[in-house]
Amino acid sequence: MTATLERGLNALREQIDAPVASFFTSCVSCGICAEACLFYKETGDPEYTPIHKLELMRRMWSNEYTLLGRAKSLLGLGKKITDDDLTRWETLVYDSCTMCGRCTMVCPVGNDITMMIRKMREGMSASGHGPKELVGAAERHTDGTSPMGDLTQALLKRVEQASKVTGIEIEVDKPNVDYMLMLSSHEIASGEEMIASVAKIMKKAGHSWTISTEGFEATNVGIQLGNRDVAANLVSRIVDAAIKLKVKTVISPECGHAFQAIRWEGPNLIGKEYPFEVKHIIEVLDQFRAEGKLTTNGKNGDRLTFHDPCQVNRRGGINKEPRRLMNMVAENFIETEDAGTMNWCCSGGGGVGANQRANDLQAKAFNIKKRQIEAVAPDAIVTMCAFCHSTLEDQLEANEMDDIEVLSLTEMMAEYLDD
Amino acid sequence: MAQKPMLPELLKAHGVSRRGFLKYCASLTSLMALPPMLAPKVAHALENAPRPSVIWLSFQECTGCTEAITRSSAPTIEDLIFNAISLDYHHTLQAASGHAAEAAREAAMKDHWGEYLLIVDGSIPVDNPEYSCIAGISNLDMLKETAEGAAAIVAVGTCAAFGGIPHAFPNPTGAQAVGDIITDKPIINVPGCPPIPIVMTSVLAHFLTFGLPELDDLGRPKAFFGETIHDRCYRRPFYDKGLFAEAFDDEGAREGWCLYKLGCKGPTTRSVCATVKWNDGTSFPIQSGHPCLGCTEPDFWDNGGFYKPLSAPAGNYRQLGLAAAAGGVALGVAGGALSKATKSRAAKAHETVDAHDLEKKS
Repeated sequence: MTATLERGLNALREQIDAPVASFFTSCVSCGICAEACLFYKETGDPEYTPIHKLELMRRMWSNEYTLLGRAKSLLGLGKKITDDDLTRWETLVYDSCTMCGRCTMVCPVGNDITMMIRKMREGMSASGHGPKELVGAAERHTDGTSPMGDLTQALLKRVEQASKVTGIEIEVDKPNVDYMLMLSSHEIASGEEMIASVAKIMKKAGHSWTISTEGFEATNVGIQLGNRDVAANLVSRIVDAAIKLKVKTVISPECGHAFQAIRWEGPNLIGKEYPFEVKHIIEVLDQFRAEGKLTTNGKNGDRLTFHDPCQVNRRGGINKEPRRLMNMVAENFIETEDAGTMNWCCSGGGGVGANQRANDLQAKAFNIKKRQIEAVAPDAIVTMCAFCHSTLEDQLEANEMDDIEVLSLTEMMAEYLDD
Repeated sequence: MAQKPMLPELLKAHGVSRRGFLKYCASLTSLMALPPMLAPKVAHALENAPRPSVIWLSFQECTGCTEAITRSSAPTIEDLIFNAISLDYHHTLQAASGHAAEAAREAAMKDHWGEYLLIVDGSIPVDNPEYSCIAGISNLDMLKETAEGAAAIVAVGTCAAFGGIPHAFPNPTGAQAVGDIITDKPIINVPGCPPIPIVMTSVLAHFLTFGLPELDDLGRPKAFFGETIHDRCYRRPFYDKGLFAEAFDDEGAREGWCLYKLGCKGPTTRSVCATVKWNDGTSFPIQSGHPCLGCTEPDFWDNGGFYKPLSAPAGNYRQLGLAAAAGGVALGVAGGALSKATKSRAAKAHETVDAHDLEKKS
């Protein structure tokens, strides 16, 4: 099968539902969403007004789902969507949107603009307008076990290393455990620290856990690319693995869109409820803290700040948990301006970081984060998303600010566990 | 002609400080919807105002407009500004009477031909001009004669602007508005029964500083008649929640709910009553518990009763309304069904893909 305009338009048509219709009807064209968007903020280009990025979807709705539009279309008056239109909007929908969700927060009539971008990407990808890096990653993940290809051997190696470093036995594919940990390919590629940290914390908390070799990859490029068939395929691998091992809770690791995929979109994508719970690793750690199973000793004396990953905090609802944990291990914790649910994106989310065409634009958009960081002048930034983590490292380096370290909150908690 | 004192001296003589004067200029500026940086310009222009000659003609009216300005409160700065223009003829306020008064008007017209500002309150009887005469001159003739040499005309009050109460059905005198008679001069309508004093003085200040203000399609300055009272009403939240007083002595009235059902014309009436308010910003009709009568709009007296809600039509439109509602529901259902069909066709046309189907292969 090949991507065609017709398939793209049909995908777009399928995505238009009652919320979308009410959102387009209630938009008052106030433009407040522009001020919330890091791409508009840093470029001043009105093309990057979030609601404008949805213009083609609005046109589809108006032509085919409104009486007046339908009457116009019958008379041949409605402006049709062409392949050239889609090409033009490609950069608006993929390069200049990290799906960070700030626009949704400020919309005075409550339109979930971010959700509509996600929907519009369905039409873009089905018509062959997805960025080639994301399509490539989707192909690799479909054929293998991760967007980087087949990472099973690498995973087993990391588990072995983590076991060695910590002296804790880690058993993969162990059934009937409390927790099944997923990982992002970034975490597997960069080292064994994450697995080692979780091993230490689980041992301390006294819970059984495992990693499934059949469903360990948490990232889901189908979400970023905007293709529900691809996304559903990837989610069902995890769901099948968790059911097979009869686990109670699946842990979404430090990754933003992975949490979106497994926690929020997953059940809708596969069309059924999960027989297990899904939690973000930081939620699990905060629960352990509340239950008194996570106790620490000593604190990091550096000047530390926290970066909120959009998909975990703003779009995921995890805001207070990381701060409670930070206060356990940070002596000198300072918040940036706009910290919390209105924090600024790292500039790499929503597939932008993987999309080479967007590199220059992304570097510009990072400036807002840069100023935010400069204002508090931290020694290190702590975060809870591996992709924010590597984006921050890359951008800080490009801005000659790499004396600022980036840390993982989970790894930090493991470091300060008491014995 | 004796040198008339300039405004700053007048203000000083009345004990108004420069600071007070500048504050007044700033509030005028904002009231006129001008950018704040123009405040110094307003002050400068007022200070150096040439004090144009003003002739005030009163026709079929109740003197309420003049009362409103002069009795607004203790001598206000607005008052002083108003006094600071060279009010050469105003038959209620001037000391002279009879022939001396008319001579003053003729002298002012002669000295300032083509430059003076004409202010009119009251409507003009046209069916029989003798219904209203001053010094044996009919209103119609006096208006035509005085308007000829005027730089501009300000029609103050609803009578002068739209005909007002004299024009109400059955209009026994054939009353007409200034704009119906004079068509070759710029006319600024400042309606209201009466208009808010500071609105009148602001319009004059605008005319002195920047010339004619921007007008709406009824000739009213947009700065003061751009928004409806409803838009700015402090009872608006109750309207939005659907909380209405149903009678003047019910629970809703005591709770201060929206007066829409008691006939409030706020939604269709353009004026700054709800923000500027009356009597030095003390209150306005809705705040004191009475619905807006809509006095800044044409024919407010004939618009089907002060206590009839706006949505209650004068005729028997109930049947038509029901039919229209039924038609709307049918259209909505049909539209919904069509949309549903479109969506389910789209769902049927969906072919499940995998990642390898996302490229265009030729």
